Amino acid sequence: MTGNFSDGTSIYLQIAEMLENDILRGVLEEEGQAPSTNELARAYSINPATATKGINLLVDEGILYKRRGIGMFVSKGGRQRIMQKRKEAFFETYVKRLVREAKALGITQKELAAMLTKAGGEQGGNNE
Amino acid sequence: MSKVLSAQHIIKNYGKKQVLHDVNIDIEPGVIYGLIGRNGAGKTTLLSILTAQNTWNEGSVTYGGAPVWENETALADICFSRELSPTMMFGENTYKVRDYLKAAATYYPHWDSAYADRLVQRFGLETKKKISKLSKGMMSMVTIILAMASRAPITILDEPVAGLDVVAREDFYKLLLEDYTETHRTFIISTHIIEEAANVFEKVIIMKDGAIAEVAETESFVASFSFVSGREEDVADVCARLGASKVLRTEHFGRQTGVALRVSPSTAQQAAEGLSVDISPVNLQKAFVYMVGEKEDISC
Repeated sequence: MTGNFSDGTSIYLQIAEMLENDILRGVLEEEGQAPSTNELARAYSINPATATKGINLLVDEGILYKRRGIGMFVSKGGRQRIMQKRKEAFFETYVKRLVREAKALGITQKELAAMLTKAGGEQGGNNE
Repeated sequence: MSKVLSAQHIIKNYGKKQVLHDVNIDIEPGVIYGLIGRNGAGKTTLLSILTAQNTWNEGSVTYGGAPVWENETALADICFSRELSPTMMFGENTYKVRDYLKAAATYYPHWDSAYADRLVQRFGLETKKKISKLSKGMMSMVTIILAMASRAPITILDEPVAGLDVVAREDFYKLLLEDYTETHRTFIISTHIIEEAANVFEKVIIMKDGAIAEVAETESFVASFSFVSGREEDVADVCARLGASKVLRTEHFGRQTGVALRVSPSTAQQAAEGLSVDISPVNLQKAFVYMVGEKEDISC
């Protein structure tokens, strides 16, 4: 895990998100051990209670699970769960904001669609 | 390890001036508290009373239910590492660092001298030096070493980072959390350098004018503030919908108005339905300033 915290979002949410990013990127593997509350607290200079809150969030979502006496592990299918969750959030957090900003700038829907196609081409994304 | 340190209805006068007015607080075991307040808010006075190093006029202070005054168990379990100064009551502070730490070892029954030695090394402190010859930063290090090595179940640090540079401050927070994740002892840390310590504090105690304004979980405290800005009319509408009591401060810049509100950003969002305003969360430092600062309008 890398990075610094930003203002505005609760630290426990940022901890959960950093762990999710590491799972998506394969830094943390399914059935592999995840950092403990104390490790997170020491690495990021945050209160362990905050780290616990972040971890518990992922436990509730079935992304991490606890092996008694050993520690936290990434669930099988955890990566898929994160992708699914983020896809659902994508419309609410990215698309709606994109459209709102486009409207404020007087960009038509047609222009916006063209921009998306162009950006997709540059990124080499899935075009099916 | 599981005793509560409790102050009930504390009143403290210095001469005719009342400096603490009916202070009530329970310090729960295993929590890192941040104590924040402006200069003169009564932080150090409260800390010295909690640790029976100062008298008070009314009220009671108990540890595990028993009065702290002349209570050996309480004194053994509570360490108050005060700010050092180059002078003492009768002149220069000529103690050497080594002797100061040696004296502490006899005073605190849980003293861990191996840990103290490791910290001296880590900070690169010269123990042969006299306290009066130390730099401000080195004095802070001595108070930190004393607090940490005391291994006291309740450890209180008054402005531990005031003299430290940013590298040493970060090292201190790291050290604190290393110790805390092992021992889960209680810490109370007063500081003016709020934002960088915000993530370390599980709870904050906010003092204002000799009273405790609030004790809350840091995260939920911060989340109960928001800042709304936009056209004056729109912002005024948001404030009207929420009620004037929620408005902590109003700022004007040109035709733009900004208000600090004591509601969560999501509550502000609901109140702003249909209006074109920007809503942002605030950080601990800002929340503190909005809470204890002046309420009046500020124009820039």
